[in-house]
Amino acid sequence: MLDLIIILSLLILGYLFGHHAEKRHYASIIKREDDLRTLLITGSRFPPENQHYNQMLVMGSTVISVDYFKRFLAALRNLFGGRVTSYESLLDRARRESILRMKFEAKSLGASFVFNVKYETASISKGRRNSIGSIEVLAYGTALIPLDGE
Amino acid sequence: MKYTNPKIPEGINVSQIHPLKELILLSSGALAVIALLAFVIGWTSGYLALLIPFEKEADWANSIEINSDGPTELHQYLDRLASRINRALDIDEQDMAIKLYYNESRVMNAFAAVGGHVVIYRGLLEKLPNENALAMVLAHEIAHIKHRDPIVSISRGLAISSLSGLLLGSTSVSDILGKTGIYTILKFSRDMERAADLAALAAINRIYGHTAGAVDLFKMFSKVRDQHTLANQPEFFQSHPLDESRIRQITIAAEKQGWQIEGDITPLPAQFGYWLQLGVTQK
Repeated sequence: MLDLIIILSLLILGYLFGHHAEKRHYASIIKREDDLRTLLITGSRFPPENQHYNQMLVMGSTVISVDYFKRFLAALRNLFGGRVTSYESLLDRARRESILRMKFEAKSLGASFVFNVKYETASISKGRRNSIGSIEVLAYGTALIPLDGE
Repeated sequence: MKYTNPKIPEGINVSQIHPLKELILLSSGALAVIALLAFVIGWTSGYLALLIPFEKEADWANSIEINSDGPTELHQYLDRLASRINRALDIDEQDMAIKLYYNESRVMNAFAAVGGHVVIYRGLLEKLPNENALAMVLAHEIAHIKHRDPIVSISRGLAISSLSGLLLGSTSVSDILGKTGIYTILKFSRDMERAADLAALAAINRIYGHTAGAVDLFKMFSKVRDQHTLANQPEFFQSHPLDESRIRQITIAAEKQGWQIEGDITPLPAQFGYWLQLGVTQK
């Protein structure tokens, strides 16, 4: 019975801390997206025509880990199948955070535009017993920096 | 056309279901399925185990050596008592040979194993107040043998644990779901204990004409358990029913059958305590 109590406490702790961290992270993401809204990004491979820029590769990456509660829920999902909803918000945050970091890097370089933006997702520690430990999302693109004097 | 990055509405890439609701839904579904599966597998494997003849079981068990401590007089006394109990339980010693072993360690326990072996420990014998209680203990264990409980428990445990290992793998979730299988086995175990209690009660009533020793035994267990607080878990997590529950069951059974609950207590032999101290090598 003791191990049941331990697991239950871990679940409750995981849920409370995870929920709190997620709310704070989303608030931070939304605020920074507003701040960086003027720096445009696009997935298109074609830069704006008839203009000249300096170009640089910029990237932003985020590593996020799963808490015990989310992992438990995902393991149950593995039995029944269906959308693993506990991981969806995790990846959404990781993607948006990576874009923001990429934009931040571009802005620091004085860029006005980033094009050909792509994502890559990798799982870092696979964790024991085949459960995902943490994931890294990388967003990268080509930043266009206006030439001096323009 | 002007290119912009407008503010995108929230919640598109996440599902709206509340995680706690999802947890409750999924885990109750999983627990229900596993409990049902464990119950069916447990019942089936128990049924199949009963088809193994006792002689086969005895053959397998006889390859294991069990040490027996204590003086010959103690063994003679216990064997005489066991013979009376076998007769009271209608056990034919030709078909089902009961072998009693005494272990001098201070453990307060007694158990029945496959092949008709019953082991009883000094720690338990020391605490018995009279012969009626001792007869109740022996009759309870011998009743387990008569009902073939050891081989059935082993088969059930094996079937359920190997199937849960196959189906669930070994993540933290499967630990919990595996425990559901274990708790199902414990439910079967409690039923076995209740059946053994009732059979033992009938046996000592046949031998002594009353059932006074039985309640004494469980009251003694209860007192000892109160001294060890960790033992007081809810019945759901235990292999035996709670002491109060066992006392209640045997009192009701005795009343229903019209057996005497009080009667002359037969004391243990005078040298019983001496026998328990003889040649003891461990403390």
